[in-house]
Amino acid sequence: MSLPIGRETAVSGARIAGVVSCVPSRQLTNAHFGEMFGQDKVDDVIKMIGVQTRRWTDATTTTRDLCRNAGLHLLAGLGWEADSVDALIFVSQTPDFRLPATACALQADLGISPNCIAFDINLGCSGYPYALWLGMTMVQTGAARRVLLAVGDTISKIVDPSDRATALLFGDAGTVTAIEAGEADERAHFILGSDGRGATNLIVPKGGFKDYSLSNDPRLADKDAACLYMDGGQIFNFTLRSVPPLVARTAEYAGTPIEEHDYFLFHQANLFMLKHLAKKAKLAPEKTPFNIDQYGNTSCASIPLLMTTSIAEQLKTRRCKLGLIGFGVGYSWASASLSVGPLAVAETIEQ
Amino acid sequence: MTKFYEGMAEIFEVEPADITPQFELSNASADWDSLAIVSTIALVDDCFNVTLDGEALAACTTIGDIEALVAKAGKE
Repeated sequence: MSLPIGRETAVSGARIAGVVSCVPSRQLTNAHFGEMFGQDKVDDVIKMIGVQTRRWTDATTTTRDLCRNAGLHLLAGLGWEADSVDALIFVSQTPDFRLPATACALQADLGISPNCIAFDINLGCSGYPYALWLGMTMVQTGAARRVLLAVGDTISKIVDPSDRATALLFGDAGTVTAIEAGEADERAHFILGSDGRGATNLIVPKGGFKDYSLSNDPRLADKDAACLYMDGGQIFNFTLRSVPPLVARTAEYAGTPIEEHDYFLFHQANLFMLKHLAKKAKLAPEKTPFNIDQYGNTSCASIPLLMTTSIAEQLKTRRCKLGLIGFGVGYSWASASLSVGPLAVAETIEQ
Repeated sequence: MTKFYEGMAEIFEVEPADITPQFELSNASADWDSLAIVSTIALVDDCFNVTLDGEALAACTTIGDIEALVAKAGKE
């Protein structure tokens, strides 16, 4: 059975003006986990996921804090007055509170005027292309002239420290991307999709208003229901089935052949999987940068983090055609094919 | 089948000659665990352009079982 590829839509008249990523300064190497799991077991997992080191927040720092830092740095770098921002969207699965929305707090943190559209979106690995589509659409319609997309997660706070499948995989990062009016004739193409049949394969069973740990799902026996559960095999299968056709269809829909894209930025799920996907899509290694070795899987932040860690110089000096591919929790997936740059700001900072 | 056997040998860290249809997936020196299963899904996709179901693969006990699964999936 093949999954449907998704809803296709194009946006014009909006562009990315800059992007800043903020990562915690606290670094955890694989040696840190050797004591807990045994070095052999750690080596087995690392061979697959490819993470050498990752950044984790301390107990008091949240995604909001990382995004606040990134946002302040971005506004200063662009020379944007905070009051010129008409909308702020926070995309995360690690908000400060169940309520209120973190976007409201960030509006105040960044000194943006109350005449500002602000709300949260609960998406993970697919969140960045979703946010770009929404932010650019808001500019296209005239609802907002300048939009900030605060996209980040601190998954370290919800992994089960005794579950090596997730504890070793994830890293924390908060990013902010600035969107403003651009060329009217330049179109960005998006494909956006969902398949909730995969909902329980990547889930925090408890902590919302339904308790999935009461469901007798045998996979959850002896798991901590307040922590992230991942069925790696199912997620891998979903990715193999959905991502290669998504890459192909994105290029086709955009009318830009795969080889005419300068870079394909994949959500940094797992190095083994990324290499397999790139090979399957016949993408040259130099066109598919990765940073999972240095930062781990940073959830929705992984694509903007790639922009500031791996191709920042290129984005600052010239116009690049990018393919962005996000996929995972939900299931949810989203892709974009768009031109980005030259950017005034593309930078990674530390908290 | 050569490429597939070589890949399985790499996953189990044994000599390619050791891989036969009778090869036990859970054996003295290796577990048929989620890492091995995910690696095998990718290998089968590479070799045969077939995406195997993780659960069906987990139920396999020998290399022969995997080959049967591939043959079945290829016909669907």
